[in-house]
Amino acid sequence: MMLIPCPFCGKRNESEFIFGGAVGADRPDPNSVNDAEWVEYLTVAPNPLGPVQERWWHARGCSEWVTIWRDTRTHDIVEAPDDSE
Amino acid sequence: MTQNNRCASGGRIDRSRTLRFTFNGKSYEGFEGDTLASALLANDVRVTARSFKYHRPRGIVGHGPEEPATLVELDGEDASGNRPATTVPLRDGLSARSVNCWPSPEFDIGGVNQLLSRFIPAGFYYKTFKWPNWHLFEPSIRKAAGLAAAPAQPPSSGHFEARHAHADVLVAGAGPAGLKAALKAGRAGKRVFLADEDSEAGGSLLNCDLSIDGQPAMGWVEAAVLELRGMANVTHLQNATVWAYREHNLLIVNERNPDQGSIIERSWRVRAGEVVIATGATERAMVFSNNDRPGVMLASSVQAYFNRWGVIPGKRVVLFTNNNSAYAVASDLIAAGVRVEAILDSRSCVPQAALELVPEITVQSSTVVGDVRGHKGVKAVKAVSSSGSVNWIECDLLAHSGGWNPTVHLWSQSRSTLRFDEDLAAFLPYQPVQNCTAVGAAAGQLTLDQIIDGGEELAYEIEPLWRVDLPGQRGKAFLDIQNDVSVSDVHLALREGYDNVEHVKRYTTGGMGIDQGKTGNINIIGTVAMQKGVPLQEVGTTTFRSPYTPVSFGAIGGLREDSVLFPYRHTPVTQWNKDNGAVMYEAGARWRRPGYFPQQGEGLQDAVNRECRAVREGVGVYDGSPLGTFELKGRDVPQFLDFIYSNMVSSLTPGNGRYGLMLSDDGLILDDGVVFRLDEHRWLVSTSTGHADSINQHMEKLLQTEFPDWQVMITTVTSQWNNATICGPRARDVMQALGTDVDLSPEVFPFMSFRDGTVAGFPARIVRVSFTGELSFEVNVAPRHMAELWAKVIEAGAPFGIQPVGSESSHVLRVEKGFLSLGHEVDGTVDAYDLGMGWAMSKKKTDYLGKRSIQLRREGKATRRELVGILPEDHNRQVPEGAPLTPGGRKEATEGLVTACVWSVVNDRWVGLALLKNGHSRHGEIAHVRLKDEVIPVKITKPVFHDPDGKLLRS
Amino acid sequence: MTYDVAIVRQPLNALFDLKGSPAAIQNWAADVLPTLPERPNSRTGQASVELYHVGRNHWIARAPLEQEAELEKHLSPTNCPAEISIVRVSDTLTFFRVVGPQADEVMSIACPLDIHETEFGEETVTYTELFGLKALIMRCEDGFEFAVEQSFGDMAEDYLSRAVA
Repeated sequence: MMLIPCPFCGKRNESEFIFGGAVGADRPDPNSVNDAEWVEYLTVAPNPLGPVQERWWHARGCSEWVTIWRDTRTHDIVEAPDDSE
Repeated sequence: MTQNNRCASGGRIDRSRTLRFTFNGKSYEGFEGDTLASALLANDVRVTARSFKYHRPRGIVGHGPEEPATLVELDGEDASGNRPATTVPLRDGLSARSVNCWPSPEFDIGGVNQLLSRFIPAGFYYKTFKWPNWHLFEPSIRKAAGLAAAPAQPPSSGHFEARHAHADVLVAGAGPAGLKAALKAGRAGKRVFLADEDSEAGGSLLNCDLSIDGQPAMGWVEAAVLELRGMANVTHLQNATVWAYREHNLLIVNERNPDQGSIIERSWRVRAGEVVIATGATERAMVFSNNDRPGVMLASSVQAYFNRWGVIPGKRVVLFTNNNSAYAVASDLIAAGVRVEAILDSRSCVPQAALELVPEITVQSSTVVGDVRGHKGVKAVKAVSSSGSVNWIECDLLAHSGGWNPTVHLWSQSRSTLRFDEDLAAFLPYQPVQNCTAVGAAAGQLTLDQIIDGGEELAYEIEPLWRVDLPGQRGKAFLDIQNDVSVSDVHLALREGYDNVEHVKRYTTGGMGIDQGKTGNINIIGTVAMQKGVPLQEVGTTTFRSPYTPVSFGAIGGLREDSVLFPYRHTPVTQWNKDNGAVMYEAGARWRRPGYFPQQGEGLQDAVNRECRAVREGVGVYDGSPLGTFELKGRDVPQFLDFIYSNMVSSLTPGNGRYGLMLSDDGLILDDGVVFRLDEHRWLVSTSTGHADSINQHMEKLLQTEFPDWQVMITTVTSQWNNATICGPRARDVMQALGTDVDLSPEVFPFMSFRDGTVAGFPARIVRVSFTGELSFEVNVAPRHMAELWAKVIEAGAPFGIQPVGSESSHVLRVEKGFLSLGHEVDGTVDAYDLGMGWAMSKKKTDYLGKRSIQLRREGKATRRELVGILPEDHNRQVPEGAPLTPGGRKEATEGLVTACVWSVVNDRWVGLALLKNGHSRHGEIAHVRLKDEVIPVKITKPVFHDPDGKLLRS
Repeated sequence: MTYDVAIVRQPLNALFDLKGSPAAIQNWAADVLPTLPERPNSRTGQASVELYHVGRNHWIARAPLEQEAELEKHLSPTNCPAEISIVRVSDTLTFFRVVGPQADEVMSIACPLDIHETEFGEETVTYTELFGLKALIMRCEDGFEFAVEQSFGDMAEDYLSRAVA
């Protein structure tokens, strides 16, 4: 049971949230990408061993969609990793 | 036989309170303060169990949760299984039985397994899985394994509870180190949660005779407990085991008999700022031939039985050790007048300080135990010196100490790391990963003077001995007494290639079970290390997982049982439904809904037929309250709705509604529903009952993460509006009878529009939608008026024969019309075109969710499964929902499936819906439903069996 | 009874859901509402009207049911400007009070949130989880008050009565 930081409510139990998936690429303009690019956008989600950016919905709280970085190895909620890592 | 092994005085028991109990059917007496184990030892019961695999006689080995041998089942109100006898508090009337034996541990039929032991080697289970056939072995193995049976009945009174707690500091363990940490944090004003598994505080101090500043150490403990009790910021629990350490410093504590109301056990979920692990240390066993004989006990346990319970489990004692702690045990026993025959010490040089504690005793250094004689109780011990000289020593108790393991279970569960310490020959806490510290014996401070100023205790000084290794050794030497895993099993596992310590555990089952190898795991690791010729650090430990000790399912579930096992939702009509004989179901999103309303003597089908006939020929009413409803407000609602619905929504004018489909961006149909425009900037979105929450989530995610600049505000109003949906050719008559100020004529109030007004005197929003295909008025009112409205509808409808309609009939009515049901006709493979709803896929809009993906899919020109109606050739033949369709009914790959099949009152026959390959172009053909032993021919039709032009619902 | 508490299911309240920027809401409804609470999950009150700040740009106004029509007239949900949303939601929540010497113990069965007085004061009001359901929770005289979605009211009552059995 993790504690997830909500920007409105502060740290709350994971059970107040619904998992919303890893944050992938921005949605491209569907009329200006080719098929392969569109399929890549739809199907390839980040799945690293280490910090991953993901979204959680504070469903049993303030309804905020929260974006966090979570280390998949430890469950630690971390600051955004710097690019040099 | 009455407590022959009990001392006349001493110990922390109340001799004035005699408790009677039965063990394996025989009656005994013990005292208040006893455990089942101490009472059995007091009564000189030596054989208390049979072993798991070989059914060897076993006695009590330890005195706490480390006990590997004596597991019992409790009967009656305490009914539970696999309880170590050392952790069962004695009470009057307790009834306990040994596990693993029949009819008794003294005379056990399964003991014949011993003779077959060479046929039950390590990996036995895995090998039988592979060859010759697991099913040959399964029945006998299942009977022999599994230890105790689950209680047949739950406790007849009392309940379990789970609650939450928060603390600045959680301290696990109320021994000297834990008490010291709790006092420090408590005095600093922190919120402290102190939990200890034992029945009273003190930890190891309960079991030995130590002093602090010249005073008995228990005096210090009592003063500490008293001070803690005076602090409002401290919660101090005994009989409370911290059994799990989860992420983000959440710990789970199981409190037994909390002495509050009728609570049997309470589970605490504690979120702690920091955690202090003061869980002490566990003595480990020595490994030698026949080290499982009844009467072979841990030295510290012998000491505990004497000091804490006033029990001396033997008359003539031999001690076997590799460290100094056993000398304090010997000293206590001598003081009690017990004959200590010898101390066998595997170390070549015994420290002078240790020898000084036992001046009169024969201490044999460089000596080990080579064997133990005595099938049902120790009779003699074979002492073997390093020079090879052998002498048998007669005795009835062998107390052994293989050293001490810091209890690092919680530390390790937190994912904090361990290191092997060569001086202490033990794994110690190393780097913390969460905010926790280990203190006291759990951190390797194995003597009192290291923990408390003024404490005094003999230095530890161990020379590890992982197993006695003598040439020509005979008799099994057990590494894991509970699972009957011997040294030879580990050797076999290594020979067969299972040389990772985790593999050794799985292959031999060493370290599994109730005790999780608390006394023996380190010896397995040591044995592997010796065999591979590597240091223990390199072998490492197996993963420590929760629970630290067994936890009852009741405590985990807490109050969640019976009616509240799952959440449930009611509407204001629920009570009326129950009063009127409805058969209630859970029908999506936790709503309890009426399935059907059987009248006297009616079965399901009769009731459904009657309800359907009423809707088709007269009038019916159903409670549509659970439909998901959302009010959307803002300037950007139109472009938002155009993005989330596949059809054009923004062109709606106030007062009107439109049916639409919501897709996900990969083309999946998420939901269908109706959108109304209330006014310029206010819209009402309705969703199917089961998808209300997920659609809310979907909309909020898009708005908050994709379009944060769009002005759209969503308010859930599902429970602000309830509705009675009056449907059927006489619906308008019932509406008139109820009384309304809204003009109901179709010319001014057409299908797919709404009007606000009053109905039966209540403020109402009347909506003209139809999920049955008939003329329908959905009368929406505030829930505070719903029960009254419902009663008035039933009353006003009575002259027209109105019938309440349940979800079974709703299903029939929508199938007759070919209306979609998500989960029936719609799954992840189906798109709007397949359903004949291409009209819902806007050509005008350049982008909306799912558009590109559907295009991409359609460009592939693959054959599709398409929605069709099916009419069984035999009108009276029902086709099971989910049945496959195959070409010609042959045993070939399926070409579709039946999604629904219902008895149609208007058609007087069974009708169905199916998804069928190229179905749209096959109307009029015959398809074949293939069942296990039957093929049912069905005619393919349009998926509509009633009012194909939709005249009735617009009427 | 395991616990010394009283559980009281409350009658309906007048409730209005308000969304939009603080300035826009202040502009539209300052005359009938208390000062907008600024801190997340806090509340303000004026006369018999209370205002709960329960989410980003989200408030709930609460008053006795008798004032519902009057409040609705002033808040005027159907005429308020596009940039704010006002919706009457009086029927959507069922309120309970758990009061008495052991109210905090009963609440700790229901609620994983830390409701100790040092963390959860008089002015606190927040959505959180109770018996696994979304619930609005706050302190009241001699205990706690909470609200669950109306349709879960019977279940919450069922659960509470089991907790104190």
